[in-house]
Amino acid sequence: MPTTALTYPLLAALSAVLLPFIGFLLSAALGKHARNGAISISAISLSLLAACYAFAQVWNQAPVHIQWHWFTIGEQAFHVGLLLDNMAVLMLVLVCVIALPVHIYSAAYMKGDPGIHRYWTYLSLFCFAMLGLVVADNLLLMYICWELVGFASYLLIGFWFTRDSAVQANKKAFIVNRIGDIGFLIGIGIVYSHLGTLDTGTLISTPETLPAPWLTVAGLAFFLGAMAKSAQFPLHVWLPDAMEGPTSVSSLIHAATMVAAGVFLLARLFPVFNETVLLVIATTGAVTAFVAAYFALTQYDIKKILAFSTISQLGFMMVGIGIGMYPVALFHLVTHAFFKCLLFLCAGAIIHEMQHVKETHALDIDPQDIRNMGGLRKHMPLTFATMLIASLALAGFPFTGGYLSKDALLVHTFEWAALQSGAAKLIPYVLVIVSMLTSFYILRLLANVFFGSLSNPLAKNKTHIHEAPMTMLIPMLFLAACSLFPLFSVNPLNDGHVWLMQGLTTTVSTLPPLPLLHLVIPLLTTGATCMVAILAWHWYVNGKYPLKTNGLLYRLSQHQGYLDVLYNVAIVRPIFRLSHLLLWVDYHVVDGTVNGLAALGRSLAATAAWIDQRLVDGLVRLVGKIAWGLGHIFRRLQTGGVQRYFATLFLVILVILLYHIVVLL
Amino acid sequence: MIPLTHFLVVGACLFAIGLYAVLARRNAILVLVGIELMINAAILNLVAFGRYDKTMYGGQVFALFAIVLAAAAVAVALAIILNVYKFYRSVNPEDIKNLKD
Repeated sequence: MPTTALTYPLLAALSAVLLPFIGFLLSAALGKHARNGAISISAISLSLLAACYAFAQVWNQAPVHIQWHWFTIGEQAFHVGLLLDNMAVLMLVLVCVIALPVHIYSAAYMKGDPGIHRYWTYLSLFCFAMLGLVVADNLLLMYICWELVGFASYLLIGFWFTRDSAVQANKKAFIVNRIGDIGFLIGIGIVYSHLGTLDTGTLISTPETLPAPWLTVAGLAFFLGAMAKSAQFPLHVWLPDAMEGPTSVSSLIHAATMVAAGVFLLARLFPVFNETVLLVIATTGAVTAFVAAYFALTQYDIKKILAFSTISQLGFMMVGIGIGMYPVALFHLVTHAFFKCLLFLCAGAIIHEMQHVKETHALDIDPQDIRNMGGLRKHMPLTFATMLIASLALAGFPFTGGYLSKDALLVHTFEWAALQSGAAKLIPYVLVIVSMLTSFYILRLLANVFFGSLSNPLAKNKTHIHEAPMTMLIPMLFLAACSLFPLFSVNPLNDGHVWLMQGLTTTVSTLPPLPLLHLVIPLLTTGATCMVAILAWHWYVNGKYPLKTNGLLYRLSQHQGYLDVLYNVAIVRPIFRLSHLLLWVDYHVVDGTVNGLAALGRSLAATAAWIDQRLVDGLVRLVGKIAWGLGHIFRRLQTGGVQRYFATLFLVILVILLYHIVVLL
Repeated sequence: MIPLTHFLVVGACLFAIGLYAVLARRNAILVLVGIELMINAAILNLVAFGRYDKTMYGGQVFALFAIVLAAAAVAVALAIILNVYKFYRSVNPEDIKNLKD
């Protein structure tokens, strides 16, 4: 039951959420005076401490829920509060634990950027929004944080706003996310109209209050929101473009904030989804995982490869939700957060170094293109070591966190598929293929970047490439340690011992276990990974690349399935055409009507003016003219000659007399 | 007895001569003479009609008044002519046109 007493765990969670917000306000207020990021870093560090305390108090204990009255509309009171259960505190800690290394790393990575004070401000806002999202007990509050996450990511993706591509990318991210937000909003509307409350606790405890069709619609609406936020096919297009932001931001977006929000939403609202919706989620996830892995195969931009790998892994998590095993999805989210964050930080270190080399030697190379790298293993050994760990975790190699979560996911998917019929049975096989593709593209990346010899432009100029600075290396080493198995389980090979899943699974009905799978799947995936690794080594390091680069499948992959082109032709251009049409209507019809009315008024006024000047004034002037003319005639009589006057007088009298004589007689 | 018509004809002739002098002469004094002639024509008419008022002699009395007034008027008019002459160095009415528009 919700309380109003602020206990210590609640206080800790609340301060964990609000500290980055205070950091945001302070950074915003200080502006250029706070360039070193001390405020943001200390805010997130304190947040981490508070989050750890809350985690220690709440994990595997009864959930803590606090609620205050927020506002009242009509007779409907809205409440706001914090809900701390295992899921919330896990995410709380995860967000902080990922955000802190990213903050520290950023201090070195973004050093010297003229807009760095904005960077810290946005970063704190981003963390605040995500932390608020995970502890909110209320759909409306969640939605507010959800929007804030989107807005902060918009600001960060477009951080280098003088680049046109960054502006296009953040616009795209924002617009695609709006599509998902509409879904979320529709879901909230449906829930509110049937339940009369937005409390997530009420919703997930009594989802059957909603009529079955509406439950499906609401589930699909919430999933649409998660699809955009967590970059699911076909709304994933914003994520590869979001690479325009600073690499440290990419690592945060891809690991703990932003894309994790969609998965978290689905996990939080899990009881709302019925069979149909879950099947849709699982299918979408499988398609996304496959398509993104396929696109990642041929990319040359190091960050694009990682972006597609994130999309692919998010597809795995969606499958985890779809098969009803949301703890597995969340577990994969956690392990993925660590190794994906690490991958991006390593990529950032490499790009940082390449950029440095490019500037010192005035080379005309793209610092993110893996074709320009090669042989960096000897120059950046620690970066190589950490990136290798992260890559193995991504590929699902034993002794890593990724192995535990991915195998758990695969095994449960097989178990789930055993109960399904029809095409759904294919989903686990798709995932197995995807995990092989994953191993291939990440090893392709490693081979291209770290093995072989230095690429031509670098070797020719006798460049000196050195290791990243310590402020960047320490976060990387920390994350590398977190990517390994001991953080999650004492047994490196069996996911049954993972404390994290044990903590979350209590409320979920487990699938009938197939013990054989726990042996077969790991062997299969590990074996496949090794085979693929040998293949990638053979192709890329030994330079025996067998494929033609102009084949249809290759081009389809490299151009990301021509989805951007398709969207451009099918959506963007018709909208442009429509807006041009509307512009035309506006200019010619609406403005034309107004202008026509104005012209009509003007011509009426001109006619009136003409009548006034010619007729009315003319009449007056005519009277004047007549008087003047008469005067002109009569003035001739006034000659000044006295005798003429007499003569006139006489004549007049004579006329009068004659008149009298003639008329009267 | 001389019939009334003769008086009236003589009066009319006098008036006509006076009128002509007033309208046509180039000398202001002679214009004045013309005026006198016209006044006298009127006086003649008064006297002639006076025969019908044998008790009161209204015609004769009126004639006397008119003669006195004419004399006074002549005196004033001559004074004006004198002043006009001083100003314009002319007594020709044609030359005096300051009243013109």
